[in-house]
Amino acid sequence: MDRRALFFITAAVACALLVPVTPPSLRYVGFSLCGAYVLLAFLSYMDDRSRHSR
Amino acid sequence: METFLLYLVIAVALGFDFVNGFHDAANSIATVVATRVLSPRVAVAWAAAFNFIAFLVFGTKVATTIAKDVVEPSVQSIGVIFAALVGAIIWNIVTAILGLPSSSSHALVGGMMGAGMAKAGTHVLIGSGLRRIGVFIVYSPLIGLALAFSVTIVITWIVHRSRRPRVVNKTFRSLQLVSAAMFSLGHGANDAQKTMGIILALLIAGGKVDATSDVPTWVVLSAHSAIALGTLFGGWRIVRTMGTKLTKLQPMGGVAAESSSAAVLFFVSAKGIPVSTTHTITGAIVGVGSANRLSAVRWGVARRVAWAWVFTIPGAAVMAAATYGIVAIFN
Repeated sequence: MDRRALFFITAAVACALLVPVTPPSLRYVGFSLCGAYVLLAFLSYMDDRSRHSR
Repeated sequence: METFLLYLVIAVALGFDFVNGFHDAANSIATVVATRVLSPRVAVAWAAAFNFIAFLVFGTKVATTIAKDVVEPSVQSIGVIFAALVGAIIWNIVTAILGLPSSSSHALVGGMMGAGMAKAGTHVLIGSGLRRIGVFIVYSPLIGLALAFSVTIVITWIVHRSRRPRVVNKTFRSLQLVSAAMFSLGHGANDAQKTMGIILALLIAGGKVDATSDVPTWVVLSAHSAIALGTLFGGWRIVRTMGTKLTKLQPMGGVAAESSSAAVLFFVSAKGIPVSTTHTITGAIVGVGSANRLSAVRWGVARRVAWAWVFTIPGAAVMAAATYGIVAIFN
């Protein structure tokens, strides 16, 4: 797995872990950020795969 | 005598704000200087102007958070706030010597916590306010990173499709002025408000204003003036150094990093959350770098920022608690 995707997954995990301690009115920030990092990790992984398959 | 001490500590708080402007000017305009869009002097004046007018755009929610949501207002006294400020200043000096990129904002919050606890114990800390500040210490650079990464990808895609590189370059040079202005606006809004919060807490402690009152207009104006003057008087020297060191900077990357961190600062200022402007733009710069490849990021610097995250609040708290111990002897 490429290092950048791994980095984004780690960031997503960090955001997910912070959600329970985030005040309820701001939890959407944690959820959105976690979702964004999962998406970035997926896109980064796809990008890496397409580069290596060329 | 108490009134004299009150105004003396207000002067120290404004001095803290001045140094903040002095120090952080380079964050917003280094890219504009490095790419020779503006000369260092004009760039500094540009940043200072936007630092100052931030009070017209944003409210004072961050100031209220600092004054009322960190330590119980009932235990805040002139001595406590003086100790908090001195603790934060000492921590900033120690980390500057050690070369750790610590945050003045986190140091201020840590200082308030330490001085408050030294006076009356841990029960004076306001959990809900500290939780909000604590989670955004991590969230703000991560939002900046994700935004800057995405903006860089979009910009790169646009640039690659364009067949007129000269026009693209000219466009990004102009956009840099806008993104630097936006970042300075966000910086002025969030960082000047921290000083406003300290001064509001002092005025409440000194019985000059009611505990439920808003930030007086003269406090708003003086805090914005102090940060803008700091930017104006000190910043250009730092910018000159930064401008020559950062010769490999591309206008595209500068626009992406500054606009993304400005968006973060606008959001947190509107929500009343004090964050580190330096850490926010550091996250955004990492985002720009990682859009190329992870090895483009200087991870050693990122690691030092992470260590500063971990140690600043407890470190400044210890310094402030020790300072309060000395203040209490003379009280």
